[in-house]
Amino acid sequence: MRELRTPLLRCTTLLLLPAAWAIAPAPAAAQAVGVACTTAPGPNPTFTLRVSDGYIQLPDGNTMYMWGYAPAGGGFQHPGPTLCVTAGQTVTVVLQNPSPRPVSIVFPGQEGVTADGALAQPQLDTGGTLTSLAQAAPPGGSVTYSFVAARPGTFPYHSGTDPLTQVRMGLFGALVVRPGVPERAFDRPDSAYTAGEEFMLLLSEIDPLQHYAVEGGLPFDPTTYKPRYWLANGRGFPDTIADNGVPWLPTQPYGALARIHPWSPATHPLPGVVRYLNFGSENYPFHPHGNNGLVVGRDGFALEGPLGEDLAFEKFAINVAPGQTWDVLFQWHDAESYSPGNPVPVTVPSVANLQYGMFYGGSPYLGSTGPLPPGASTLNQCGEYYIITHNHALHQLSAWGGVVMVGPLTYLRIDPPQPNSCP
Amino acid sequence: MTRKQLRPSLLSRRSLLRGAGTALLGAAGVGLVPGRFSRLLLPEGFGTASAAEDPPHDLFFAGTDGWMWLPETPAVGHFHPDVLAPPPFTTYIFGFRNVTGLTPAQRAAQKLKAQHSAPIWWVPQYDGTNEFRVALTNLGLGIRPDLTDAHTVHWHGFRNVVPFFDGEPSGSFGVPAGRVFVYAFRPRHPGTYMYHCHVEDTEHVQMGMTGIVFVRPLQDGNTALYPSGKYAYNDGDGSTGFDREFVMFLSEVWAESHWCDAHIQLPEWSDYRVDFGLLNGRVWPDTIAPNGSIDPFHPVTDASGDLLPPGGIERLKYQPFSSLVTCNAGERVLLRFANLGFREASMATVGLRLRVVGKDATLLRGRDGTDGSYEAQHLSFGAGEAIDAIFTAPPHSGGSGPDVYVLHDRAYRRSDHAAGGNAGGRRTEIRVFPPGTLPPQGFPNT
Repeated sequence: MRELRTPLLRCTTLLLLPAAWAIAPAPAAAQAVGVACTTAPGPNPTFTLRVSDGYIQLPDGNTMYMWGYAPAGGGFQHPGPTLCVTAGQTVTVVLQNPSPRPVSIVFPGQEGVTADGALAQPQLDTGGTLTSLAQAAPPGGSVTYSFVAARPGTFPYHSGTDPLTQVRMGLFGALVVRPGVPERAFDRPDSAYTAGEEFMLLLSEIDPLQHYAVEGGLPFDPTTYKPRYWLANGRGFPDTIADNGVPWLPTQPYGALARIHPWSPATHPLPGVVRYLNFGSENYPFHPHGNNGLVVGRDGFALEGPLGEDLAFEKFAINVAPGQTWDVLFQWHDAESYSPGNPVPVTVPSVANLQYGMFYGGSPYLGSTGPLPPGASTLNQCGEYYIITHNHALHQLSAWGGVVMVGPLTYLRIDPPQPNSCP
Repeated sequence: MTRKQLRPSLLSRRSLLRGAGTALLGAAGVGLVPGRFSRLLLPEGFGTASAAEDPPHDLFFAGTDGWMWLPETPAVGHFHPDVLAPPPFTTYIFGFRNVTGLTPAQRAAQKLKAQHSAPIWWVPQYDGTNEFRVALTNLGLGIRPDLTDAHTVHWHGFRNVVPFFDGEPSGSFGVPAGRVFVYAFRPRHPGTYMYHCHVEDTEHVQMGMTGIVFVRPLQDGNTALYPSGKYAYNDGDGSTGFDREFVMFLSEVWAESHWCDAHIQLPEWSDYRVDFGLLNGRVWPDTIAPNGSIDPFHPVTDASGDLLPPGGIERLKYQPFSSLVTCNAGERVLLRFANLGFREASMATVGLRLRVVGKDATLLRGRDGTDGSYEAQHLSFGAGEAIDAIFTAPPHSGGSGPDVYVLHDRAYRRSDHAAGGNAGGRRTEIRVFPPGTLPPQGFPNT
């Protein structure tokens, strides 16, 4: 059904997409797309996070009140900073809480976490009722967590205090623990990936009525919880494909576009990696087109047997459970090497016989562009390929009010082999 | 509406030409456009988009709309059964039809005769010569002429796809009504996949443009590893050999969204629920009713090109696939599951053990050869996921008739689970006969 989708997509893409590439400053490619790390100096890094609140933009034009962990020196952002550390480091996280309610952090996957020097433990009130999964920072106070990031992998962190409210309001983020050897998902050599091709898909959902209630100081009945928005890296498509840190999404710093080159035995032999996290309340079945991901880790555990046997497996449906993380290697082979000199084995229909998409460059061939219908245009820059990756619970590719083809979907951009004419 | 030139670069000659074309279109209409542009703008004739020198296609599919039948009770508000449905049908659908071998007139006559689930088809693994070609035409929507939706064939899970053959319309294009596009596939990885239209995919998938495709391994025909010479994968050891195979395609119907499409309304997709969990496009007990014409390469139709009612059951005319599993004791049976519903399913057997040998068209084996297959009673999988599971039919108990085992979706939460004994509508039977009773299988699901 076209009548609703088309105006929205065209408006938003006209306004947003070209600007992503045309106006934004040109940081290094590794910073424009891919995991944008927040790091801290020293062999044993200390991060400061501050409880904050603010608003994010949603793909139907709505804005949403959120809570979040703000980085030191930064304002509210969603999701929280992606903390990157190295395995073996002792990591300290100071949580400052200027909010009027206790807030904590739990670090699923980390063991021996301490809070202000004591083992992080569930907190009970005098009646024995759970108040928090870990020691919280009181209103106006702080708490200091510390742990040894013992093993590499992708891990969530989120509030352990009133999580049905605080997690759903946005108090979560990703912790990436890298092995000592750079560009590996795990210690295993067969988990190596290409520098600059480390990506994150942090998946979440929003029930707007809960957020409205919290914003207005009204009660919310958690039994009525019903998500109406689904997001990737805190954004919905088409914002997902804008670069990291674009100025028009000031509180949603993380893009979800992946950008790679085709596999090449000489110049590009290694895959990229996608770190999936799920902060929602049901499994999200993510489907990368054209790329069976090689699942090499879950919950920060390499998929291997007791003797190091390889238990990795390929999947075209990455079915991530709530709270879970998956580490998935992927690459794209130009299997047929179609080109103007090795044409596709069908007659390419004339432009009047197809309905062209906004990412298509008019040519079947990587690195080529071709004719488009008169008056039509494209976001394609240099004959690059755009291959979609999206949540396959397709009703979640929507936003409240019947807007479809938004939400947790993004693209894999495959640039022609270098040298190329791509900006 | 015309898309604007968005590239930040200076205007190229091409974009100037495009701008000129736009201006001419807007000002004067196609008839006044100079020759070069008018040639671009005139559609090619129906069915002639492939040049004469192209090799013939192996299959020809058509995308359109139509009606199918689901149990009238329990009713789902005023959404089901749909009062617009022509008897005996209940539910508005979009779908694919197999129009291979039909005349152009027969093809065109299949508008508003969609089926669900989509035709099952299979392809031999590419060996360097055997490219597989699927033509797709778009017959338009009979009930919704106001919608100008394109259609595509997206082969879900095809590795290293190029956008040109991926059927994802933003990265490439869709096929508008009246046009034809030919997809050429060189499938290098055996296993069970699925396919669907990717245009407005939330809607077109939910409306029924979904089905199974699978790739047969190069190892097929090698009777040294398994006597039948039939395998799910190139396993090298016969571990995926089988005697019979059955596809089990899972889809769902949210009655409200189907009703909305028929009644020119838009659903709120976040309200999504599953009213019917379907198995090969039907619910119990229709799942064990006979097949219609299911050989994709030799479709049987009436003189107009329309489908024939399976076993004479008129209400199943557009739901041709049976899910009844029949086999002889001792045989290995491969079940090819794929889920294009939006929710998770948990397919369970009562009394049989399943060995999961593949997922998502991948043999479960580590890069160092470590066996990752496993035995299971329940197969839990999400939207867009495929599972290959093999069971060995147990010895026959000796009584008269077959031994019966149930295969059903243990995720009881759907209205059709009231069907036929409260054991779920997404349900079928596995009937095991004494050895030698059934002849070798001719086609999947027979």
